[in-house]
Amino acid sequence: MAARALGWLAVLALIAGLGAAFGYAPREAVQGNVQRIMYLHVPAVLTAYLAFALVFLGSVGYLLSRRAGWDRLALAAAEPGVLFTGITIASGSIWGKPTWGTWWTWDARLTSTAVLFLVYVGYLLLRGMVDEPDRRARAAAVVGILGAANIPIVHFSVTWWRALHQPAAILGPGSAPMPLWMKMALAINWLAFTLVFAYFLTRRMEIARLEQEA
Amino acid sequence: MPDNWSYVFSAYGLAAVVLVGYWRRLAGRAKSLAGRGERKGP
Repeated sequence: MAARALGWLAVLALIAGLGAAFGYAPREAVQGNVQRIMYLHVPAVLTAYLAFALVFLGSVGYLLSRRAGWDRLALAAAEPGVLFTGITIASGSIWGKPTWGTWWTWDARLTSTAVLFLVYVGYLLLRGMVDEPDRRARAAAVVGILGAANIPIVHFSVTWWRALHQPAAILGPGSAPMPLWMKMALAINWLAFTLVFAYFLTRRMEIARLEQEA
Repeated sequence: MPDNWSYVFSAYGLAAVVLVGYWRRLAGRAKSLAGRGERKGP
């Protein structure tokens, strides 16, 4: 029941986010309307960070306590985390073509994000390869903890190395260089993506619990 | 710079397909597990 309410809240927030991205937010002066991809791209990567932080938390929790609930949390966060990272990479690539003139470049931010994606795809593949539950959870927890080290590398790559990618719009040093209404549209979409993630997490944890009981 | 709406709609469309696809996958899995539980009985 609570998951259903959360799902509807996420849908309403997504509708509000679309309204903000395509109506409330103004056309960007230099890039034109293609900049509206930012309201998808940035919330997607921030949600992926949150998801992988929860994978880290669940992994540490499992190794310390050996309680299956922590492992379920890590699994339930990893799947949508991979999806949101995939959306980040795809939307960034689509945005890059008209603005940079290329779909892909081996820039520090793009490369580290691709590595992040592959690490967590590997995490899910590893879970599928080990049958014994405790061994699977322990092996996955090690990858979940080591994989989280890549999150700050992805985020600060644009600061640490010379990159084609622009500096972080959110959670970067200093205030985001954009007007208030763009920040508002970004915040609404960030909230919407977080709610979608919370819904997926809740549903996936419940499914994992039922799978363990079956 | 031209508006490049086709890129904008491609990005949002792709994201919608991914999110709806995952939602359907979760719903299908939950349904099959619930069905299995009902067949098992109390």
